[in-house]
Order: sequence, then C-alpha cells, then structure tokens
Amino acid sequence: MAQVAKVKFLWRIVDLIIGGVFIYAGVIKALDPIRFASDIDNYKILPWAISVRLAFYLPWLEILCGLALIARRLYLGGLSILTALTSIFIVATIAAKIRGLDITCGCFGHASKNWSFTGHLALDLAILAALLAIWTHEHTCRNRLFRTARLEPVCRDIV
Amino acid sequence: MRQAPILVALAFLPGIGQAIYFRDKVSWQSPIPASEMVTVAQARAWGGKAIWVDARPDAEFEQDHVSGAVPLNEDRWNELLPRFLATWSPEKRVIVYCSSQSCNASREVARRLKDEAQLKNVFVLEGGWEGWLKSRK
Repeated sequence: MAQVAKVKFLWRIVDLIIGGVFIYAGVIKALDPIRFASDIDNYKILPWAISVRLAFYLPWLEILCGLALIARRLYLGGLSILTALTSIFIVATIAAKIRGLDITCGCFGHASKNWSFTGHLALDLAILAALLAIWTHEHTCRNRLFRTARLEPVCRDIV
Repeated sequence: MRQAPILVALAFLPGIGQAIYFRDKVSWQSPIPASEMVTVAQARAWGGKAIWVDARPDAEFEQDHVSGAVPLNEDRWNELLPRFLATWSPEKRVIVYCSSQSCNASREVARRLKDEAQLKNVFVLEGGWEGWLKSRK
C-alpha cells in the first residue's frame, strides 16, 4: 500500500507542478495583456485584431485549466486544453524560427524574452511530455475501470 | 467530454471583464495607430528635427546603424535610457527602429518611452532597419 500511496502522491505532484506552471504563466500574461498581445503579434500568424482579443482571453484559460489540474475539477477538460495549447505553441515557435522571425517571447509571455530558442523549446517539450504522461496515466486508469469495473488503487481518485 | 467547452466558456468571463477595463488603453485594430508610424521618406524629411533610436541588440547596432542613432534596447534599458535622454530635447521627434517590419522591439521601446519616460512625438519606423537599407539603394 505504501507503494500505491507513493505513486498516487507522485502523480499529484506532477499535477501540482504543471497546474502551477500554467497558473504562473497565465497570471504573468494577464497582468500585462497589451504586452502579451504584442508578443502574439510578433509571431506574424494572426492579424492584430485577433491577437489583442486572444491576449485578453488566453491567460484566463491557462489559469482556469491550471486550477482544474490542481483542484481535480473539470480535470480532463483542463488537461486536453493545456495539451492543445502547448502543442500549438510549440508548432508556432518552430514555424516562427523557420521563418526567421525575431521571437523574443515564450510561454511565460514577456518574462521569458531573454530565453534562447532552444531554452524555450526544451521547456515547452518538457511541459508537453508531462501533460502526455498525465494523459497516459488517466487513460490507462479509465480503460481498466471500463473493462473491469474496478478501480486500480493508484487510480482511486479519478472519479 | 463536456469539460473542455465549460472551461473555454468560463475563461470568457474574466477575459471580457478585463477587455472592458482596458477598452480605452489598447488599440484594437492595429498594434500602433497609423499616426505613430513614420515612413523612411517622412523620417528623412524631418532631418535634424528628429532623434533616431536603435532598438536592436547591441551587436547589430555596432555592426551598422542609422547615422547619429542612439542605441536604446530593452536588454540594457536602465543603462541606455539616461544616455538617450541626454541627447533628447522636447522639440525633437523620436524615431525608433528595429531590424525589420516583423520585429517587435521598436514598438516596445516606443511604448516604454511614451509610458515610462512620458515622452511625446515618439514614432516607429515602418520597415525598420531593412526598410532603411532598401531606401539607401
């Protein structure tokens, strides 16, 4: 049982870290939405009119999804949105690099303006890997529950 | 899988609230109002009535820059701002440029000059350094 408790504790830690990272990233951007709009615009993918509206919306979506991970409420919804956002961000960052754009911002908005491209990408890929690991764990637990109608001890808190 | 749409919808509430709060502080249609952009030809016409500000990184400034331009980038803002202000005078227009049309640094430096240094007559050069080079050919 100690082993089961340890595994469950580790998954909670992963939830807390990833949720906390997105809450932090969201708060930083929500504090300065005009700068964040400028950061989105820097990717030259969307027109300014859309970038500026997204800048008022995306930080709150990140915060809510981060809270969902930590509170384990609307958990899978938060997980799927954060996975999608991170994937889109990674593709946009790589595309910007290929197009030779002068990207001076990352997933932490303007606070990460001095990070290198490699640093950005490494952090984003690490976050994506953690999100996918959580997905895999949840998926495995739910599949077992569906097949056997019995919750594995390490999955006890998914319902 | 109804959870994701719920979160997507919930995030609109604070987002809309914040957008309403900022409605007069943000330009909704373009990153810089047209009145704060300046073309290379206009900037040249201002001649000695303008101060050029190079918002690119130091290495790019050292390679080449607009004649008489003052370096002022965000990496060394606190250090370079006093040096810029020493050359500034109220009757002069300030033209900020960065590397190209797609760069962001000139907009940020112009914004900070207006917001933090309380300067007026701050303009962003259309096309940036690349535009300047093209006009020299």
